[in-house]
Amino acid sequence: MNDPHNDNPAAAPLPEVILEQRSRFSLVWLIPLVALAIGAWLAYKTYSEQGPTITITFRTADGLEAGKTKLKYKDVEFGQVSSIKLTEDLSRVIVTAKLIKDTEQYLTEKTRFWVERARVSAGRVSGLGTLFAGAYIAVDPVATGQRTDTFTGLETPPAVTTDQMGSRFTLRAAELGSLDVGSPVYFRAIKVGQVTSYRLSENGQTVEIKIFVNAPYDQLVRTNTYFWNASGFDVTLDANGVKVDTASVVSLMIGGLAFETPINLESRQLAEEGAIFQLHPNRQSVQEGSYIHKSHWLLHFTGSVRGLTIGAPVEYRGIRIGQVIDVKLEFDLNDFTARIPVLIEIEADRFQWIGASPDYDNEQIFKQFQKNLWDQLIAKGLRAQLKTGNLLTGALFIDLDVYPGSPPRTIVWKEPYPELPTVPTSLEEIRNVLTKFLEKLQRLPLEQIGTDLQQSLTALRQTAIEASKLTHQLNTRALPEATARLKQLQTTLETADKALTTAEKTLGTAEKSLAADSPLQREVQRMLKELSAAARSFRLLTDYLERHPEALIQGKTR
Amino acid sequence: MRCPRCGATLHTRKPNSLARTWALVIAAFIFYIPANILPIMTVTSLGKTQSDTIMSGVAYLLLHGMWPLALLIFFASVVVPLLKLMILIYLLISVQLRSPWRPRDRTRLYRITEAVGRWSMVDIYVVTILVALVHLGNLAAIRAETGAVFFGAVVVITIFAALTFDPRLIWDSLEKNHE
Repeated sequence: MNDPHNDNPAAAPLPEVILEQRSRFSLVWLIPLVALAIGAWLAYKTYSEQGPTITITFRTADGLEAGKTKLKYKDVEFGQVSSIKLTEDLSRVIVTAKLIKDTEQYLTEKTRFWVERARVSAGRVSGLGTLFAGAYIAVDPVATGQRTDTFTGLETPPAVTTDQMGSRFTLRAAELGSLDVGSPVYFRAIKVGQVTSYRLSENGQTVEIKIFVNAPYDQLVRTNTYFWNASGFDVTLDANGVKVDTASVVSLMIGGLAFETPINLESRQLAEEGAIFQLHPNRQSVQEGSYIHKSHWLLHFTGSVRGLTIGAPVEYRGIRIGQVIDVKLEFDLNDFTARIPVLIEIEADRFQWIGASPDYDNEQIFKQFQKNLWDQLIAKGLRAQLKTGNLLTGALFIDLDVYPGSPPRTIVWKEPYPELPTVPTSLEEIRNVLTKFLEKLQRLPLEQIGTDLQQSLTALRQTAIEASKLTHQLNTRALPEATARLKQLQTTLETADKALTTAEKTLGTAEKSLAADSPLQREVQRMLKELSAAARSFRLLTDYLERHPEALIQGKTR
Repeated sequence: MRCPRCGATLHTRKPNSLARTWALVIAAFIFYIPANILPIMTVTSLGKTQSDTIMSGVAYLLLHGMWPLALLIFFASVVVPLLKLMILIYLLISVQLRSPWRPRDRTRLYRITEAVGRWSMVDIYVVTILVALVHLGNLAAIRAETGAVFFGAVVVITIFAALTFDPRLIWDSLEKNHE
């Protein structure tokens, strides 16, 4: 090393440069190495965080944007839409989405996707946040099921997502009414669930409504639970007056269901998930009951069926067992007679079968024993009859009852419906009797009777006139004679009176003489006493003589 | 080689210039990829969250008709860094191949590169200012994302790469004997 503090730099010898051997490797190469490391790490991170890519088809891509729209579950990002395309036939939109890591297990066929937008319905308002933040695709992941990566998006959000606790049930109804997806299900006016979907059954006969009952209320659904449609007003006008039945205002607008588990003779087991129930049209019909297994019968009536409507009850001894399905009018062209066939259905579930094997359910019993059972019943005198159910409206119902004295009939087993024998209506019977009576009345010779009566009356009047004449005659002729006779009679009576007075006097004398204190009476008494004393003495004498006959000679000894 | 007076290390050319420049250019290239792929900024406004990369930002501006701004950002943030790296690579290769072709223009090219490089930081400044200004919670918020870090790294590294390059090397090939 040279001295840097040389006084005279010019004089100093020219410094020698020192050449240093530098290492071949420069540390500057660490920079790209570090960059490479960071890049590699980033690449690895990106790759490892890469989730699965799925495709979802929707009817419309309204509100969706490629690269921006998120997939969310519980408001947590689940993935992002990467591209939006149309299908080749332009009918649907294919949304491709990249999901976050570790979501593969939730991509099953049961997983559902739908676009969450702001929705306002009568029942609820949802997705307000999407008004500002834009629509997103909501996910309802289900971990169980077949794995898949192509999905069909729902057009409307599902009413119930998988993470909600509760049970699903199916209801069968004749019609949907005012129900819709999201319609509430009430139990004692508390909202406990909702309608999740509905569809027409395969044969188009009924509507199948799927409902979801939230836990813990699903425990309230038992095998004998009744469901009924609590939508809107239910106004009933009957003999009891006007009755209005309505649930909450919400259900007035968007419909609703209600259920109740009655305390009755049926079993009260917990209903299984997915159990099928009958949906009654209203609460009233719950009490009437509504049943699944039915058998159909044909009845023929000859009289008027005015007041018999479709749906009129069929009763057996006052218990409803079915209803009228159809009423028609038939004319026989051969003899030009009219008769009215009435089709009824009898609900098998109404019967409680005693003495059957417990393995059979109602339907099996009904099918197996139906023919035999009904034959027996008809043999015992079972007949159908029209009866008046409501005097106010004149509504008729069909009553099945046993009429033991009725002439023997049998069921006509024919297709499509077997025919049950009928008996005429009680009203009809009364009418028949009345008609007969009137006919008899008509046959009476009323005019003859009238003439006779008139003649009789004329004769009667003549008799009366004659009687009056007789009276007059009696007055004019017989009376003076009678007066004379009466005078004579009076004289006679006076004489008799006198004789009677004399007799009275005589009798008075006699009475005096016969009185208790009269001297004659006393004399007679005394005489009688004397006589009895004499008799006693005589008896004593005879007694003594009998014992002592010698006394007659010797005298009385002492 | 050291200065005999002050002891400072002396070089006739910047030491190890080519290797250092190469290293920095490669590093810048590596960072350039994530800088463009990763989002640089996340904008949350009224609950709507949107992450933007540089290119998506440019596309957004173009779609909304703000093409002058889009062009500015496109040039400052995409073209300039890339151009800088390309120019540096070209200079490095030409020096290494001892190309005698138009050394004056190449030197000018180098000067421009050096001067323009720092303007690429405009993007980073915009992001940092926005992040600092817009902090209104859910109503509006802007966050810087990792892409910005890489972009910043690209700009800084290219500036250093330009610095480590010795333009005199361009002229060296014109002399028969060198060093």
